[in-house]
Amino acid sequence: MQDFKNKLYNYETPPPGEIWRNIEKELQISNEPEDEKVVNISTHRRSAFLFYGATAAASVVIIFLGSLFFNKNKHLNPTANTPANSNNVLAQKIKDSINLNHKILESIIHNPKEKKEIIAKNQNQKNSKKYLTVANPEGQPVKISPKVATLIISADNGFPPKPVWNKKISKWQKIMLSSTVSPISANLIDLVKLAAKNDNDNLE
Amino acid sequence: MQRLLYDRFSSMMYAVCLRYSDDTEDANDVMQEGFIKVYKSLSKFRAEGSFEGWVRRIFINTSIEHYRKKVKLYNVSEVQENTIEDSELNALDSLATKDVLNIINELSPGYKQVFNMHVIEGYSHKEIAEIMGITEGTSKSQLARAKSVLKKIIETRINNPKNSR
Repeated sequence: MQDFKNKLYNYETPPPGEIWRNIEKELQISNEPEDEKVVNISTHRRSAFLFYGATAAASVVIIFLGSLFFNKNKHLNPTANTPANSNNVLAQKIKDSINLNHKILESIIHNPKEKKEIIAKNQNQKNSKKYLTVANPEGQPVKISPKVATLIISADNGFPPKPVWNKKISKWQKIMLSSTVSPISANLIDLVKLAAKNDNDNLE
Repeated sequence: MQRLLYDRFSSMMYAVCLRYSDDTEDANDVMQEGFIKVYKSLSKFRAEGSFEGWVRRIFINTSIEHYRKKVKLYNVSEVQENTIEDSELNALDSLATKDVLNIINELSPGYKQVFNMHVIEGYSHKEIAEIMGITEGTSKSQLARAKSVLKKIIETRINNPKNSR
């Protein structure tokens, strides 16, 4: 068996002449267009890079301009900042403040022991621990301390928590009225009068 | 240099192409493709073995690739068919090389590839399995069947020498 193996392994037969010609042609073809292909590929890569780069840049610009446009529209919302609207908002705030003020004061009168809790519950976070906001007769907000609020209520004959305060308040009123310094709207006397007036209005 | 290489190896490699191909047309295609691969892969030759062996391996691989494009060889279960002793093929030794070549070409493509690689080129079944993308068991089965078919062809020719090609 070894003989035919060797025979076949070492067997040689000349190929047809056309094979070399075909190989030669293929070698020439594969050598020539390679240079062109290299140029074409690099051009294609460059153009592809430019295309994707330009697309990305355009996308960023569009997104930026779009965000600017929509933000501008938000600020230019015609229903937001007209004078009539701002007046309405201010009036509503004053009304809310007055209502809240009455609510707090009444709560203090009926539950003086729970005063701190009620104040903390009904007031805003800032300054609310120290002051209450009430509206004066001209509609302007005025900050007062809870102690002053107690005095205001005490001055009202309808809800006297401690009758001794009436005497004290009357005494202070006389002293302040006889003073040569004219009171301003935020003074204590005005606030006492304001509170008394509001309570009278509510009773009516 | 390309022409020198071609002149040196073309006859030997063309015989390889004829052994692995179904017809001369296929052999010509493989021959052309194989030399182009050799020229393009010259820089990869590391002189670890003989240059002729390296070139022959390229041609065998090219033949297998060419064959696999045409025929899908499916894995088959390993069966105990390897009962044909090599001595039973000794009759091939007394034949002329062209006749042996003709007999081997009568094998179906799958049998022929494995027979050539294992018996003539000396590849192991593991190597054949890797190159052809089949299992070692399939390679062994293909070889056993190839030998069995060869034995029948030889017996037919001995009994009816007039019918031999």
